Amino acid sequence: MAYSLEKFTFEFDGKTVEARAGDTVASALYRAGRRIFTRSFKYHRPRGLLCMAGKCPNCMMSVDGTPNVRACITPARAGMKVRHQNAIPSLENDWLAGVQRFDWLLPVGWYYKTLTKPWAWHAAEPYIRKVAGLGIVPEPGSGSTDYEHAWMHAEVAVIGGGPAGLQAAHELAQQGIQVTLVDDQSALGGHLRYRKQAGAVPAELIDKLRAMPGVEIISSAYCFGLYEGNLLGVLQSNPHPGAVERLIHLRAKRVVVATGSYEVPFTFENNDLPGVMLSSAVQRLIHIHGIKPGARAVVIGTQVDEVAADLSEAGIEVVATVAPADVVSAAGSSHVSGLRTRDREIPCDLVVMCGQRVPDAGLLNQAGGKLQWDAVCGAFLPVDLPPHVIAVGGVTGIGLRSAAPLPPAEVPFHKRAFVCFCSDVSTVDIRDGIGEGFDHIETLKRYTTLTMGPCQGRMCQLAGIGVCAHETGRSMGETGVTTSRPPNPSVTLGALAGPRHHPIRRTPVHYAHEAAGAVWLDMGEWKRPRYYKTATCSSERPCVEEEYRAVREHVGLIDVSTLGKLDVKGRDAGKLLDKVYTNRFSDLKPGRVRYSVLCDEAGIMLDDGTISRLAEDHYFITTTTGNLDFVRQWLEWWLLGSGWDVHITNLTSGRAAVNLAGPNARDTLRKLTDSDLSIKAFPYMACREAEVAGVPSLLMRIGFVGETGWEIHYPAEYGEHLWNKLLEAGAAHGIRPFGIEAQRLLRLEKRHVIVGVDTDALSNPYESGMAWIAKLDKDDFIGRNALRKLSSATPQQSLVGFIMDDNAVPQDGAAILVNGALAGRVTSARHSPKNGKAVGLAWVIAASAAEGSQIDIRVDGTLARARIVSDAFYDAPGERLRM
Amino acid sequence: MSFLIPCPHCGNRSVYEYRFGGEVKLRPRPEASDEEWLDYTYTKANEAGVQKEWWFHRSGCRQWLQALRNTTTNEVLEAFFPE
Repeated sequence: MAYSLEKFTFEFDGKTVEARAGDTVASALYRAGRRIFTRSFKYHRPRGLLCMAGKCPNCMMSVDGTPNVRACITPARAGMKVRHQNAIPSLENDWLAGVQRFDWLLPVGWYYKTLTKPWAWHAAEPYIRKVAGLGIVPEPGSGSTDYEHAWMHAEVAVIGGGPAGLQAAHELAQQGIQVTLVDDQSALGGHLRYRKQAGAVPAELIDKLRAMPGVEIISSAYCFGLYEGNLLGVLQSNPHPGAVERLIHLRAKRVVVATGSYEVPFTFENNDLPGVMLSSAVQRLIHIHGIKPGARAVVIGTQVDEVAADLSEAGIEVVATVAPADVVSAAGSSHVSGLRTRDREIPCDLVVMCGQRVPDAGLLNQAGGKLQWDAVCGAFLPVDLPPHVIAVGGVTGIGLRSAAPLPPAEVPFHKRAFVCFCSDVSTVDIRDGIGEGFDHIETLKRYTTLTMGPCQGRMCQLAGIGVCAHETGRSMGETGVTTSRPPNPSVTLGALAGPRHHPIRRTPVHYAHEAAGAVWLDMGEWKRPRYYKTATCSSERPCVEEEYRAVREHVGLIDVSTLGKLDVKGRDAGKLLDKVYTNRFSDLKPGRVRYSVLCDEAGIMLDDGTISRLAEDHYFITTTTGNLDFVRQWLEWWLLGSGWDVHITNLTSGRAAVNLAGPNARDTLRKLTDSDLSIKAFPYMACREAEVAGVPSLLMRIGFVGETGWEIHYPAEYGEHLWNKLLEAGAAHGIRPFGIEAQRLLRLEKRHVIVGVDTDALSNPYESGMAWIAKLDKDDFIGRNALRKLSSATPQQSLVGFIMDDNAVPQDGAAILVNGALAGRVTSARHSPKNGKAVGLAWVIAASAAEGSQIDIRVDGTLARARIVSDAFYDAPGERLRM
Repeated sequence: MSFLIPCPHCGNRSVYEYRFGGEVKLRPRPEASDEEWLDYTYTKANEAGVQKEWWFHRSGCRQWLQALRNTTTNEVLEAFFPE
């Protein structure tokens, strides 16, 4: 084979490493002489290449800031920065390697046995985290964020690009079926890429397949899960230079699983030493990367001819072949230097394990297939597959032969005979776990963490079952396998989170706010002005006070375009509203507005808003900003099957809305409209369609902030036009735009409740002080039955107003105490310029809800005294908003 | 959770396009007993098997529909607009 001569460099721990085209990070490092690739999870034992196929935990490194990257399957790229993990200061010289001398202090289940007091874990955790573990998660913002999501569809998805997968894809494509082939290696061909004696990679077939219409090939992508509805989770590395990983949601009508099999190691003392490798890893190094992995090799196994021939051909001397049962231990400290058998020690620099091959059947198990023990193959084979999933090739067990008897006649019990390489679980740990009563494979797994590490059981499951079967006297089949669950193998959290795209909604007046110095507040997807910075104020509190004073003394203007706006038309519109809202609407006169809440069948308040009757068969509803979709779906749901003539249209995006409020609101608005705005002609809670500054508008006289005011709804196209006209007209009257913060303060002084802020998923109108809103004498409406019960029930708690005794300002959510006992919580509190002290709304127990009751509120760690007030804190009779 | 619901209007679509609306139940008459109202408001059959449910196709046709779903396998046997 001709190996590419194109060379480049990357960095490992700050040193330059040379790589060739086609290299993975691990193959380049191995060629450069590196033998230790990581330190083990618990004991910090040196670990070297074991599988070279991304199946084991032995080569995990940090690549360009991303931790736990499998170096053996990650293509090397020029300039990439690779760092070692879990060793201080270096892989060769790890200070923490001393931990393994204390392994007798670390029995299986050590946490549960030692850290039995709650304080013990808290005391020990920081040290454990430092000593044990994997890579270090980068600080927020410093890691890679170049993750993508993609959605794909296929008639048939073929998982695995080995000979079976290629052939299946080709046959399907020839029948005109649309096929997507997913392969986890950088090049197609599967085991033919490194098993030269099994045949050549079918290059012609691959070329043909690539050229066929309807065939999509995704390389360097592993399938980590097969979910309901044949949804495949596929993670592709480096789909293009702009992305680290791409998560593909691949939906297929049928799935062909051609994942083949992988090789697992034998269990003996020091089986984890660098230089002890699986035969398939050795073959990959020789045939794919052109590396001679040693000079003198010992081969362990019963079927060794193929590998022995490959080794000889590569110029590696095969000094001995040993049967698995004869192996005692590997010798060496940081690299293998020999193999001890029952009768001798053989010096060598490479131990090649012709291990058992295990069908990679995790996806089939996830699809609902069972795994059945087959003694001839020495493996659990997939059976009982669901109809939409087909297994072909090595994963079915075809050609598999047992490499060593299972369960083993004799288990090498030794603290350094590793079954699980991910978290250093030895044969002794498993025996002890079983001895302590965890003798079922599923409980044994959870107690010892066997199969729970990054390799997700690929390396350890079969050996673990073998030890468990041996110790419990059961057969392999009786012992059984643990369940495969996605994601398997592990998936980067960043890839699951995907690109950081957040939808933003801007109101039709957005850019006028921006120009006016708005400081933004995110409300769901919406951007809303929190307050405005001006020439006279630059921080929140003074700005909000200026805005507050403008509304109370002159006139203010706020953008309320985010309100949900529903147009409800039809002969039976009133009937629908009567049924869904608690207030009555069928008797509302055209030209009038009414407020209502909307309850569920348990009497819980779900939303509130105003409803204007524009004509006999025409209503206009506003909902709270976040509840529009819910209210619309709720209305349409109750409309189903009624046979009523009602049509609901969502006007939220089509309409801008502003609220003009303050003593000078009338004088301001009068300049822009011919409509009669006098108290008599346009009283409180009236509505009218009229032109304002030439724009057809709906005017509603409502008073959330407690002053004379109009809410004006108009076509979104005129968003900034009307806003600017109103500011122009109000200039002589002291107008100011005001934001959410001022609005919240203004309404709080009026004790107007915000549903969803002051109320929650347990609040009903009676406990919220809004008994009047439920018209129990109406025929039937949603929640009536529950509300009727609640109307006569003794309330457990009440939503009340309070005023502080001193200057303390409680935070929203602060605890309320009465005589030292918890008695409620604050929902909203603000410093009230009108009262000179903070006022607010709070839920308190019924016993402390009476006017004048004293309560204590926790403010900055101390208690501050407050008093319950039943009236509004501002203009209790409500005269100003009617003026 | 990644099953498909065959919307009678839009076709087979991912469950993430839908909002779940609960079991299909018959609302009691206003004069029904407290027990019936309690049962309707708070009790769920939570069938281990095929159950008739409300689903709203929010990212599609924005219609309410009913579906027969096997709650143990998440297989949707049928989806239709209610009578």
